[in-house]
Amino acid sequence: MLRAALERNDPAAVELMWDRYAGDLFAYLQAVLCSRHDAEDVLQAVFVRIVQKRHRLAKARHINAYVFRIARNEAFSFISRRKRERNVEDVNKSWLIAPEGHKEQNELAEQLQAVLALLPRPQREVIVMKIYRQKTFLEISRLLGLSHNTAASRYRYGMEKLRTLLRDIIS
Amino acid sequence: MNEKNADNKQIEILLRKAHLPEPSSKLKERITAEAAKAWKQTSPELPWQTPIRRFITSAAAAVFIIWLANSYSDYVLVRWQSSGGQVVHKQPFDLDVLPEIPYSPFARHLVSTSRKPSMTDVSSFRNYTETMLRVLDEARQNGVSKPPAPAEGRSILLREKSAFDSYSLMQITKG
Repeated sequence: MLRAALERNDPAAVELMWDRYAGDLFAYLQAVLCSRHDAEDVLQAVFVRIVQKRHRLAKARHINAYVFRIARNEAFSFISRRKRERNVEDVNKSWLIAPEGHKEQNELAEQLQAVLALLPRPQREVIVMKIYRQKTFLEISRLLGLSHNTAASRYRYGMEKLRTLLRDIIS
Repeated sequence: MNEKNADNKQIEILLRKAHLPEPSSKLKERITAEAAKAWKQTSPELPWQTPIRRFITSAAAAVFIIWLANSYSDYVLVRWQSSGGQVVHKQPFDLDVLPEIPYSPFARHLVSTSRKPSMTDVSSFRNYTETMLRVLDEARQNGVSKPPAPAEGRSILLREKSAFDSYSLMQITKG
């Protein structure tokens, strides 16, 4: 449906793309950037880029992987820009939220996002997509252009690190 | 293993106590508006444009590389000439004195023996025939024959004793 709309050069494709990709892309970008605010900016850049490359997207064999590749490239350019323009410490690192809004829950969410930010980016990407978007390893591997085993091992190593980092909270 | 799985379950449960926000409707409006604007600004690329653009790019790159190679070659030549280099024209080798012939030792010997000067008199023809007969006879008996004495003023390839299968060029002149 999306491919057909792109081939027809129908502007309604933007709406379809949003419904299909916005949630996953937003989660992915937050995992990469560790900032909701930055993820919003990059998501906009990603959609503009997708629209500019719509003719290629229409011909792409794996549209999902192509979209995520664009998102990844945009996120990396944003990170380099951010490093050049300002101190990394200034980044607003709020991205995980507590479901109920209690003070304790908010503290836990802050702790979790701080701990997740300590993980290497590739491991964080897989963990966030698996835990918060309920993706299978197969889906993650297709989205991120990885092999199934790589996605699984990144998850496993990430969880091992989290076990160490969250030992106090778990106990 | 089970302990690890249980730990992982605990961590997953803990992580799920927080969640990632979905993109807001305000964000959706903003981004779809930007995307729609970009849609209008960019014209769709026609299918035939891509290969043509690639061809033009490749051709331009090829021309540039050739130009660069020529310029470099000219530059090197000018530098070499300015440093006093001179072009020397070298005559090609006489085929009779080529040091290497890509055949077996016997074949090389036979070729070198057969490259005799044109026979202008009966005696030289007889000498030549005798030499050839001797070479063939020795070859039949031993497999490889010793090279015969060359004719006057001719070069011949001789096997050196020091190195196996190597030959030296000798100019032999009669008395």
